[in-house]
Amino acid sequence: MTRVDELSARSRSESITEWYVKVFPPLAAYIQRRGGSLEEAKETFQEAIVLYYEKLALSGFSPEKTNEAYLLGLAKKRWFRYCARNRGREGISHIDIAEEKEREPIPRKLLHYLEQSGKKCLDVLQAFYYENLTMEQLAGRFGFKSARSATVQKYKCLEKVREQVKRKAMCYEDFLS
Amino acid sequence: MRTSLVEIAQIENWLLKRGNPQGRLLTEAKILCSPDLKEKVHLQSASYEAIHQYGREKLFQEIRAVEYRLFHSSKHRSFQNRIRAIFKH
Repeated sequence: MTRVDELSARSRSESITEWYVKVFPPLAAYIQRRGGSLEEAKETFQEAIVLYYEKLALSGFSPEKTNEAYLLGLAKKRWFRYCARNRGREGISHIDIAEEKEREPIPRKLLHYLEQSGKKCLDVLQAFYYENLTMEQLAGRFGFKSARSATVQKYKCLEKVREQVKRKAMCYEDFLS
Repeated sequence: MRTSLVEIAQIENWLLKRGNPQGRLLTEAKILCSPDLKEKVHLQSASYEAIHQYGREKLFQEIRAVEYRLFHSSKHRSFQNRIRAIFKH
């Protein structure tokens, strides 16, 4: 099963496929026994994978249990949270469902504007800040001459995005305040 | 690297708590004294949030693509049968 140091070495899709094959069936059975549908199981697992990936990639997390068990546990918590929101809280009051802090999402329109005005830059930046690629990997993926030139490009892109955010600041005061 | 990029790097080190502590302390002092720099910090912080969300949306797209393949490709027939059996009851 994938660990953080392997995440960058193999394709992300391969890791996701492996997580689905190994963890989704027991999760689906668990949710089905509690009256959930296939669609609900899929949605729950998608969210759990995102949280799991972010833990591995962004915080260098390494679970004490096996990775399968950890991902399954995380997905079950997401299911409890979903039930608490959509089906009332009965029967789950003993479970701690506040396992992670939700980020305040940025307005979709602002993200769309940033994407329109510089998708390449956003791709470079997300590869570094979200996928946690090294400068060498960044240079390889985007065809920069060296790690040094990837560093400069990254800062140029960040400057560009910051300028765009500034331009739209008046429209999104709530998000930016 | 040009001056404005060096400044971006300094703000980054301060916001993400990277680089050497003395450099961060100096940046902090500059931020306290400069409303202009303070605004840049604020905008840069919002930019990181936007990048994070963009990254997350890309990941969601990738997950959905994998899920679609697993549920629709003949290569994964045994997986599909396993899941179908669970929801048959």
